Amino acid sequence: MVLLQVIINGLLLGGFYALIGIGFSLVWGVTNIINLAHGAIALLGAYLTYYLFVSIQLDPFLSIPLSFVSIFLFGYMLQRFVMNLVVKAQIFILLILTFGLEIFLVNFMTTFFSADFRSVTPSYAGESLVIGEIVIPYIRLAVFFVCVIFAIAMGLFLDKTWTGKAIKATSLDIEAAMMSGINPAKIYAITFGLGSAIAGVSGTLLTLTQAFSPSIAGGLTLRAFIVSILGGLGRIEGALLGGLILGVVETLSSYLIGESYKNAIAFGLMVLVLVLKPSGLMGRKYYAEVKH
Amino acid sequence: MKDKKIILFFLFLAVLIFLPYIVSGYWLRVLTQTFLFASIATGSNIIIGFTGYPAFGNIAFFGVGAYVTGVMTTTYNVPFLVTLPFCALSGFVLAGILGIPILRLKGHYFAIATVGIMETIKEIVDNMVETTGGGMGLTLPIMVGEPEFIYKYFYYVMMLCMLLSVLICYIISRIKIGYALRAIRVDEDAASVMGINTPLYKTLAWAVSAALVGIAGGIYAYWLSYIDPHTVFGGTYPVKMFAMILLGGATTVTGPLIGAFILEIISELVWSKFIAIHGMVLGLLIICIILFIPKGIFETFKGGFSFRKLLNNLRENSL
Repeated sequence: MVLLQVIINGLLLGGFYALIGIGFSLVWGVTNIINLAHGAIALLGAYLTYYLFVSIQLDPFLSIPLSFVSIFLFGYMLQRFVMNLVVKAQIFILLILTFGLEIFLVNFMTTFFSADFRSVTPSYAGESLVIGEIVIPYIRLAVFFVCVIFAIAMGLFLDKTWTGKAIKATSLDIEAAMMSGINPAKIYAITFGLGSAIAGVSGTLLTLTQAFSPSIAGGLTLRAFIVSILGGLGRIEGALLGGLILGVVETLSSYLIGESYKNAIAFGLMVLVLVLKPSGLMGRKYYAEVKH
Repeated sequence: MKDKKIILFFLFLAVLIFLPYIVSGYWLRVLTQTFLFASIATGSNIIIGFTGYPAFGNIAFFGVGAYVTGVMTTTYNVPFLVTLPFCALSGFVLAGILGIPILRLKGHYFAIATVGIMETIKEIVDNMVETTGGGMGLTLPIMVGEPEFIYKYFYYVMMLCMLLSVLICYIISRIKIGYALRAIRVDEDAASVMGINTPLYKTLAWAVSAALVGIAGGIYAYWLSYIDPHTVFGGTYPVKMFAMILLGGATTVTGPLIGAFILEIISELVWSKFIAIHGMVLGLLIICIILFIPKGIFETFKGGFSFRKLLNNLRENSL
């Protein structure tokens, strides 16, 4: 019974990991940028939610659209005016650029929002759904469903709208996309904006489930990273699967082996997948091959 | 041109040798730190610059070296200098074994796998509480002697470590393996077709690089006499190392060394003026290096300094 509870906890956590992984995987798959500042951008959304909650008591779930829009604009500008300038450079140049950005953002947040751990606790935080011996907090369930809804919406957006199709086209073959009248600079900016916006939303949801401070940015990025690798790049279903696997593996390994080894196991799993099937569990040909 | 370069290098060396008798203890410390970074950057450049494999988590071997010295001096009472060959050996063996599966990956995937290795080793060290002290860190025996002498001692030891890295880099760039690595960087498939045993050379390059970084780690551990997993595995080391390599020029022997000197001295000057926003300034500095001088200052300003070249650099990689 305890094992079932652990697995359910893992799946609920996995929903959150999937959401943070989707944005990362999308940006990586399309623009070939590994955004090491992803976790820091997610925390921008978290702080936005926190300050809205503290100052005007806005419910965290209601601030989702706000963090989506504002972080989208931030990401769009960033890609349009900074990243696009170096996007064709060698990969480690892009890695360092985003790492520089991460250092900047984390220190910015530490200076202006302080290094204290914060959390948001709305009035309904303590209630849970009890089925037999299984306890599921309503908040975690709601967070899980918001994550899944966002994942599905993202998938539909990529499959059904013109912009979504243009994003996919650019990711598959940039020259052919240009020939059919797509402006890659704009598509890259939109992609990065969307990836950041989803990160911002996951930051908002983060405030509800755990305490956060600027120092956890790196950990979030690494989770996003593992999720993308496990599932396969640039694919929503892949990120969803990868997130759930990571969530279950993390909680199971903390339960069976010990809390302190969970990162090592998650990374071991990632390196194993990388060596055995570098395109990820659901990866397809042409998606996110090494382009340089 | 060539003679001029060599004369310049030896002049620079002579200045460094006599500097401890002129400057204050504070600057001695700053310079020792700079040598440390120069060693790491030069050592890592063998795999990053020469071979073209962006080993972002190469700092893992720095941590391994630091812990080898740490554990050997505390648990087994081995003299400090004796531990250094073991630092090199552990880095060499570890990278050699890990390199066989990991070096099959390319580009991003390789970069990430090395970060994964770094984090995994960190976690393992963090959990071996009996030998390494875990998250509490490890306190090494403090060297006996006058503070003045200790400062100078580490200054010279670290300088020798840096010179060793530069020497090995220089030798590698001159012999067959150097040419093989260059061929791998430009086109690995073509190199393989030419009859170069690419897995062997890649693994060898990574192992040598790890050994050099490991020695730097060992000296660092004894110098600070306190290490903990979170500072020696990660922190800002990887990105600083990369910024130094890029600033100086990745494909050259002395580039990373010069990059290290420029960045560390700037960082030190900035540190003393803006303590509160130091991290932000470092972030911005790195972003600016990437945007304007990704090819390194020497390649960029070959025929003299001009702002147009900066703008050209900016335009070259944009969409």
